[in-house]
Amino acid sequence: MRPLPALALLSACVVTALVASHPLSLAALAAVLLVLVLRASWRRARLYLIGIAVSSLGLLLIWPLTAHRGSHPLWNGPIVPVLGSIDVTYEELSAGAMQALRLAIVALAFAVWALRLDHDRLVREVRLARRSVLTVALATRLIPTLERDAAGFVEALRGRGVPVQGLRGRSRLLAPLVASSLERGLTLAESMEARGYGRRGRPPRSHVRFSWRERLSLAFSLLLTISSLLWL
Amino acid sequence: MAVARIENLSFSYPEAATAALREVSLELERGEVVLVLGRSGSGKSTLLRALSGLVPHFHGGRFSGSVSVAGRDTRETPPAALAGCVATLFQDPEDQIIFDSVANEVAFGPENLGASAEQAHGRAREALAAVGAEHLLGRATRELSGGELQRVCLASALALEPELLVLDEPTSQLDPGGAEAFLALIERLARERGATVVLSEQRPTLPLAICERVLFLRDGRLVLDAPREQALEWLEVEEPGFLQAPGPVREHTGGAGEVVCSLHSLTYAYRPGEPVLEDASLEIRRGEIVGLAGPNGCGKTTLAKLACGLLDLQEGRVELHGRAGYLSQDPGRYVVCERAEDEVALGIDGDLPAARRWLGELGLAGRERRHPRDLSSGERERLGLAAVLAIEPDLLVLDEPTRGVDPERKRELAELLRAHVPERATLLVTHDTGFAAAVCDRVLTLPGAREFSGV
Repeated sequence: MRPLPALALLSACVVTALVASHPLSLAALAAVLLVLVLRASWRRARLYLIGIAVSSLGLLLIWPLTAHRGSHPLWNGPIVPVLGSIDVTYEELSAGAMQALRLAIVALAFAVWALRLDHDRLVREVRLARRSVLTVALATRLIPTLERDAAGFVEALRGRGVPVQGLRGRSRLLAPLVASSLERGLTLAESMEARGYGRRGRPPRSHVRFSWRERLSLAFSLLLTISSLLWL
Repeated sequence: MAVARIENLSFSYPEAATAALREVSLELERGEVVLVLGRSGSGKSTLLRALSGLVPHFHGGRFSGSVSVAGRDTRETPPAALAGCVATLFQDPEDQIIFDSVANEVAFGPENLGASAEQAHGRAREALAAVGAEHLLGRATRELSGGELQRVCLASALALEPELLVLDEPTSQLDPGGAEAFLALIERLARERGATVVLSEQRPTLPLAICERVLFLRDGRLVLDAPREQALEWLEVEEPGFLQAPGPVREHTGGAGEVVCSLHSLTYAYRPGEPVLEDASLEIRRGEIVGLAGPNGCGKTTLAKLACGLLDLQEGRVELHGRAGYLSQDPGRYVVCERAEDEVALGIDGDLPAARRWLGELGLAGRERRHPRDLSSGERERLGLAAVLAIEPDLLVLDEPTRGVDPERKRELAELLRAHVPERATLLVTHDTGFAAAVCDRVLTLPGAREFSGV
């Protein structure tokens, strides 16, 4: 499938995740997206899946501790300054699960975009906001680059006998990773400009013709969005 | 007829205390291959960027004098508009890749110049064929090796059909065989296409054989602009380090100390069934420097990392007696602290006096409180080395420590390594055969397939 209809489908999934309120609809959507992510190579998908699991579980844990609602207490915790009473109710837990599911769907949709879509083709076919699409495509490519850089930092530190362990050890790498990616970004921008990027007079994009399957996908995207607003 | 003309060019980067280029004047004729030499920070890369218009448009700074390429003044013509006349290949191919597919990557330039998708892809095919990489057309860029990426980047530059091809240390990541084949390719392209080629190099032996003219920059000034034969005579007298390896800095004695590291029958594969290392064994003693050479992808770095315990063993056994220190390739990229002294102190429990001592030993006195990313690339490399030496390892492993390092710094590094030789066992992974001959007690060569053998 061409990337444009696929992008429309993923966008519809994100809208559905944000507006639908039935847990089964959301769970079904998450399952479909998870299957799509798992069809990419495990080596590449692993990083995304770890990130999705950590962020969703984190939200699931934090939500009940910070929300204050519900009348069916499951656990009565201490009173903490600023946050107040740290109680966990059934309603808070179920709301936390819904929000975690929503976050997981949005992140899974991004993973499908990053792992399964042909970004080159998308950049070539898109007729509107081409620069923005190219920027997003380049930012997506940054993820595996950051993974390689992070491995390089860990290796460089271990080579000096400095262990990189735990959240604290790894969080120390965050600022250098950002600095390193900014340096890479500058070189890339320089290279793009040297290859004529931003020059006036590009030829008009050729007209994109969608197949019946792709037209069906576009129609389904629209249907999914409307359904999520009205029924799901 | 001159393809490019530089008149009285002076340039300073924003906030720089000194000028990167001072009153440089030269003309580049059609079809000539020109080699630009000079020490680190002498202004080579700045000169090349001035030819492509990136200086001053991309970098800003103070610019005086004039540069014209194909009759167009670079101050009035932005780099994107110059792209049809001049094409630039930067040092690190990985940082230049935009697209996932090789075909789109190479077609990007012609499309920017206004070619239709069909025309751009036709030019991409031709450019890939010209660099002997037509077989890479359908491949994904993320799957390519460093050497293959270098070829794709060269094809991307050629697809612009430039009159002037600018190459900034294009062979710094290639093994000697790969570098030789790459430079032969450049020479052939210049001859067949009539393009002017300007390239800078820190390992000048091979490019000196193909160039017709040599420029030498010293502190931003052009101190030599001469035909090759005349330049060789000048270099012999003024800068002999550029013509020869550092030379044995001390009589090689061989390791007489105890065994520090033994590697027994190591086999390692990153992908099942594709071992990069098979049944490799090695013993390194205190007091010796062992060189590890071989073509790209033969497993040198893998062996070095296994020796240090940075990779988990798959087959075989490693016995390490003492502490290992590993200096990775491109160490300047992997700095984590905000002050140079903190960076060195990181591995020695924050011992700042010791960190300052090591910085002084590596010629970085006065830079202790500077942010590592504000240091020059050469200084960052030395900072990385200081951070590893500070932990006083029993086994010191250096992975390509002379990449992008000028001959003077190489000589200093050679002297430093030899000065500390009795204290430890040293394993040196390098493509730099001259440097290996100068400092190593013995050099081992790992076999492997050469990436550029087909050119």
